[in-house]
Amino acid sequence: MGSLGVNIPALIVLGISVVIGLLMVLVFAYTSDQKAIHVAKDHLKAHLLALRLFQDQIAVVLRAYGRILLATGRYLRLAFKPLLFVIVPLTFLIVQIDRYLGMTPIEAGRPFLVKARVAESVLNDATLLLPQGLETTAPAVHVPAENEIAWRVVALRDGDYLLNLHANSHLFSKSVKVGAGLPRLSPIRLRGRLWERIFVSGEPALAASDVVDAIEVQYPARDIAFAGFEWNWIWLFFVLSLVTGFIFKSVLGIEI
Amino acid sequence: MKQDRNLARRKFRFVGLAALVLCPLAAHAYAGPGAGFAVLSSFWTLFVAFLYSIYAFFVWPFRQLFRVLRRRKAYGKAQIKRAVILGFDGMDPELTERFITEGRLPNLAKLRDQGTFRKLRTTYPPISPVAWSTFMTGVNPGKHNIYDFLARDLGTYLPFLSSAEIKGPKRSFKIGKYTVPLGGARIKGMRKGIPFWHWLGDAGIFCSVIRVPVTFPPEKFPGVLLSGMCVPDLKGSQGTFCLCTTRMSGDKFREGGVRVPIQRKDSHFASYVPGPEDPLTPGSGTELRVGFEVHRDPAAKRARFEVDSQSFTLKLGEYSEWIPVKFKAGVGFGAHGICRFYLKELSPEVEVYVTPVNIDPGKPDLPISHPVTYSIYLAKLFGPYATLGLAEDTWALNEHVLDDQAFLAQCYANHDDRERMLFDALEKTRQGLCACVFDTTDRVQHMFWRYLEDDHPAAREVPRQQRPEVIQDLYTRMDNLIGRVLKEIEDDTLLMIVSDHGFKSFARCVNLNAWLHQNGYLALKAGKTESGDWFEDVDWSRTRAYTMGLNGLYLNLKGREREGIVDAEDTESLKNELRDKLNGLKDPASGRVGITGVFDCDAVYAGPYVDNAPDLIVGYGDGFRASWDSVMGKVTAQIFEDNLKAWSGDHCIDPRLVPGVLFCNRKIADEKPAIVDVAPTVMKLFGLPLPGHFDGKPWTVAAATQSSLGTIES
Repeated sequence: MGSLGVNIPALIVLGISVVIGLLMVLVFAYTSDQKAIHVAKDHLKAHLLALRLFQDQIAVVLRAYGRILLATGRYLRLAFKPLLFVIVPLTFLIVQIDRYLGMTPIEAGRPFLVKARVAESVLNDATLLLPQGLETTAPAVHVPAENEIAWRVVALRDGDYLLNLHANSHLFSKSVKVGAGLPRLSPIRLRGRLWERIFVSGEPALAASDVVDAIEVQYPARDIAFAGFEWNWIWLFFVLSLVTGFIFKSVLGIEI
Repeated sequence: MKQDRNLARRKFRFVGLAALVLCPLAAHAYAGPGAGFAVLSSFWTLFVAFLYSIYAFFVWPFRQLFRVLRRRKAYGKAQIKRAVILGFDGMDPELTERFITEGRLPNLAKLRDQGTFRKLRTTYPPISPVAWSTFMTGVNPGKHNIYDFLARDLGTYLPFLSSAEIKGPKRSFKIGKYTVPLGGARIKGMRKGIPFWHWLGDAGIFCSVIRVPVTFPPEKFPGVLLSGMCVPDLKGSQGTFCLCTTRMSGDKFREGGVRVPIQRKDSHFASYVPGPEDPLTPGSGTELRVGFEVHRDPAAKRARFEVDSQSFTLKLGEYSEWIPVKFKAGVGFGAHGICRFYLKELSPEVEVYVTPVNIDPGKPDLPISHPVTYSIYLAKLFGPYATLGLAEDTWALNEHVLDDQAFLAQCYANHDDRERMLFDALEKTRQGLCACVFDTTDRVQHMFWRYLEDDHPAAREVPRQQRPEVIQDLYTRMDNLIGRVLKEIEDDTLLMIVSDHGFKSFARCVNLNAWLHQNGYLALKAGKTESGDWFEDVDWSRTRAYTMGLNGLYLNLKGREREGIVDAEDTESLKNELRDKLNGLKDPASGRVGITGVFDCDAVYAGPYVDNAPDLIVGYGDGFRASWDSVMGKVTAQIFEDNLKAWSGDHCIDPRLVPGVLFCNRKIADEKPAIVDVAPTVMKLFGLPLPGHFDGKPWTVAAATQSSLGTIES
């Protein structure tokens, strides 16, 4: 909630949904074969009606089922063509929004996990160096099977921190946000793996070394209160953009 | 090279699809509402289909049990598995024979040689609604109550449509000057009798019935039916076209159309399509309208049209597809129609022809099918189609609004739609009855008979060598259709091709009201020598007989007509007198007989509705028909005159001169079959008992003897 009791994350999702709903409907209109989609949908409806109209004729009904499947396939093929135009920009957009709305910052006083995936050679030597305001609450746990070390950490006060992992005489840093609001969060810092970094990380790659593969901070998932339910933002966006898309398609006379 | 490209394209698609499915993480796979709708809609469709399957699975045994309990075991005594009846309205036996001899109709020739070809006796009078009503009910008009397109109001002497009555909603309430209707229009079918597909349906034999005339309003029965002739347009008329034009003219079309001005705006032209009366102000004469704009490009000989939110471009002399139009009358009130635009002229003047606004089959405001979903099903499957009973705009050709080519294009577009419906019905009705009537045969012969004759008044200006073979082409097309139907049927299918009547020339008009006037049977008001439409100037107090419609002649009977003067005891003598004088009436211009028979309704009809029949049925001779004026209750000075309209062939004459055709893929023993026999014959072939009130007699039909008739490309 904002300072005036306004549910800011919900408002942001609503705003994004309206804008993207409209944009996507327009993109859909200009990149799809509107007439073919109209015909495909009509054929689907016709075959559904055939089930009822010719219900006593088994052969007709079975043929109608087959045609429903075929027409559904045709419709999906036509409807997914515009997807090719929007999937890349929209995916990047959603990934970026997810940095802000997907998780909440760490709450001061509440323990959280820091995990590091390291090379087997440094598994027992790697140490976590915490700045002032962060401290561990338990000894490190080593998981040799996964080359992983986990620390339970607690923040004493709000702030932006940089923790360091010392391994093989090198320091590898990772940001940690403690507090409230809608800061940009990066749950993991990775070495290399550009493709994965784009989707899950919000930080530059770790230094080119073969000892530390990833450092992860487990931020809690954010739930957004809307219409009496707690939503993950992506589901709320899904529902709201569908609703706004439906409204815009009807108003603009666009076939989806 | 092309194959390589295709392969590469396919590979690209596969990789693209795989990337779409596999790469993005689950939360990121949602790419906007388009994809969301696609997935949801598809899922929803499959879900509905799945739910319906479960429902059908569980209900199926109960439906079967229900049938058995009601002893509806179909096909137990049937001699056929399926009957396919193709109605070719107006197909003429003499022309058919001639074209068969000329080698134009190979499939019909084969049917004739291996099955049956007979002349099919028609009804009195030989008019489509009468004959098709008899076809479907198996009774004479005295039992089905249809004697013409029009019937007369005994109180006003005005006409009304004989087949159906459409009234406003039963209840409404007023808010100021507005009347808010509660409920839809009320439609009452006037045709009596039970169509034979009702008997078949009740016995568990599925029937698909497409566009058989006088099936509006559609009646409930176990099968599917799309109504035909007599379905009104959105204005409630039998077809009112619209000519939108920049030409200033006060002229009105005699019938069937309205002229609407096109206004010149800054960069475009604007006009409107007139629609039905505003339901919120009934009786005020206020019509609903849908505006449209024309943005012309004279150099390219084309124009862009903006209708509602739709935009399309037409070349000069081109039709649009069916365009949906919504006539809005306030919140929640409106009427859905479809119409086609035809760009007639572009420069210097702009003229656009708009077809009558048909009831939208996908959103029918009036029921035009049974069940209602059947018309929607066809619209979804094939797109919008003409629903108006008389869908081919003969009036527009008569009034020179359309030329021959434009009219034919319209006819064959409708015909192609009908063919698609027929083949769908054939596929859906592997057992049972499939009946489909094609009107093209009737309309094209009406409008192009003039080119068949050397000296038709309506085509005297066209040199013989320039006359197109329109009717020859029509018959060839129909033969081709039969060839394709033959491919779809098996040995246990009965194929019947029937027409309700034949055709003859309509070169001379007979104004029977003028004859009645000149012979002292019809009197005009003092000082009048002629009368306007619908007996405007007739003095009923001195009138003993009158005519309206195509073949009916009525006595002005005391106690029946509001101002009747003929006593009941004088009826027979007056009828005899009129018959004697009219029978053999000659055209003074040529000496040819204009009337070859006058038939007493008591002799040709029997049944509970005979009282509604005309007293006499007038049978015109070959080349003659009731004049356009006489049909509309007008009295002119001339009795005989040339028919100069494109509507140059007709069949509303002496029924003995215009029998229909009967082709069958089986041998039929009867030498003189009649259209009234079709219903009992089909019922007998399906092994059903015949109702006692039938007037028709079943034919003796041979069992299938040879393998299915092959088809020949024509």
